Amino acid sequence: MIDFTLIFRILVFPGFTFILLFTLFCDWVERKIEARIQNRVGPMVAGPGGILQPLADFIKLLTKEDIEPRDAKKTIFKFAPLLAFTIMVFAFCFIPVDGTSVFSTTGFSGDLIIILAFATVANFLLFLAGWASCNPYGTIGSARVLTQFLGYDIPLFLIALTPAFIAGSLQIATIASDQAGKFLPFILMAPWAFVLFVITMQAELEKDPFDVPHSESELVGGLETEFTGAKLAFLHLTRDVQVVFGSALVVELFLGGPYGPVIFGPSWIWYTLWFVLKVLAVVLISEYITTVVARFRIDQVLSGNWRILLPAALLSLMLTVALVTWVYPLLV
Amino acid sequence: MTDTKTWARVKSPWVLHFNSGACNGCDIEIVALLTPKYDVERFGVKLEPSPRHADVLLVTGCVTQQCAERLKRVYDQMPQPKFVVAIGACACSGGVFEGNYNVLGGVDKVIPVTAYIPGCPPRPEAILDGVVKLLNALNPPKPKKEPKQAKQPELPKEEAKPEVAKPEAAITQTAQQVVEEVKPIVKQ
Repeated sequence: MIDFTLIFRILVFPGFTFILLFTLFCDWVERKIEARIQNRVGPMVAGPGGILQPLADFIKLLTKEDIEPRDAKKTIFKFAPLLAFTIMVFAFCFIPVDGTSVFSTTGFSGDLIIILAFATVANFLLFLAGWASCNPYGTIGSARVLTQFLGYDIPLFLIALTPAFIAGSLQIATIASDQAGKFLPFILMAPWAFVLFVITMQAELEKDPFDVPHSESELVGGLETEFTGAKLAFLHLTRDVQVVFGSALVVELFLGGPYGPVIFGPSWIWYTLWFVLKVLAVVLISEYITTVVARFRIDQVLSGNWRILLPAALLSLMLTVALVTWVYPLLV
Repeated sequence: MTDTKTWARVKSPWVLHFNSGACNGCDIEIVALLTPKYDVERFGVKLEPSPRHADVLLVTGCVTQQCAERLKRVYDQMPQPKFVVAIGACACSGGVFEGNYNVLGGVDKVIPVTAYIPGCPPRPEAILDGVVKLLNALNPPKPKKEPKQAKQPELPKEEAKPEVAKPEAAITQTAQQVVEEVKPIVKQ
């Protein structure tokens, strides 16, 4: 017996097609916000308001010649970008978009750890892609990716534990639904963790002020210097899916997930609407930070991580544990 | 399918800027094109750092003997389909440096050039016009639509003249009337 609902969910609605289109849409929103802050108009010609610009870029890259450098490690060079994209989309599938995740379930206990691990693996594949291209700039860029994400993964995991402690669960769907039912959204209950999480996410996604791995003025194109055609298209797409995934994670952990008021009709339409609006709000915050701040040096990024962010994450965790044990039971 | 491919290529030309020995005049004009005043990102044009990502190579300045080999190498690194735009008088022909001991000449001495934009330096509008003409060359004209465009409505040229002349006639008539009215008063 083939379950057609499941196939539809995986391929079309909260699954692949939805993720792809939503990613391209978020890319357009980012470029528009950046352009408006810089007193420009941004993409305008491709489609109404330039909304098809990311799609045009993607199709153009797919149809370009695919060059493989002679010294590149062929197998890794070919498959790492595609695999990184696949893993990011798979990680996205565990996020409840319309109340349930893609697999029509509310996930399982511990899927928060799984998707954070998937994000790490995708980052590692990006590092491998740059390393296999055997280009000096690509190699330096990927070494920086590795240095940065090894450092910032630890605070990210520690801060992601804050909502898990308050909800008493490591299941994303439970954490999200607890904010709608049992508690307030965790942005109000633990605002310090929200600020820290957004900063760490900025570093994890390699956006300003932490974009040292692909700083154009020093490293040409960073790890993607040597990539052309379809491989470059998938590298760009992976980066965009990572941005949407990070924003979705912030929404699930701190902004109450897809849950919101259902005014009329079926609930999944409203849940999708709230999810999309909340993700766009997080994208706006993230892109605002990216546009207004300048880039750190690599040594400042690392010392900022080990000296400031890691102790802050530990303090935040201790504070959360204390509040969960003694203070929140009095309020609820 | 071909239409979609052409549409995507026309809507998203990523450029790489290469200075093969320019005085920086044309480079400043290119920078003016990319910055907020002209903002070519609205047409999908993006400045790319690596020749591997670029579709259009913008070359400024005459090609010096030293630079020729590097220019060739950068061109070879770009993936197909690729276009070269020579910007400024020097890039088109060598300009005032033509015949100098260390100058090879225009860009077309080294690599095939798709579009020439003369000027010293060309204005940003001129560069934009050149890029648009280059991209329109990618779009082959569609034969079905041409007959419809050929039927141009005739302008009503002859009718326009009397309309302009009427007020003058009216004024002269009134002036004559006034004179005729005034005459008897003068006689009196």
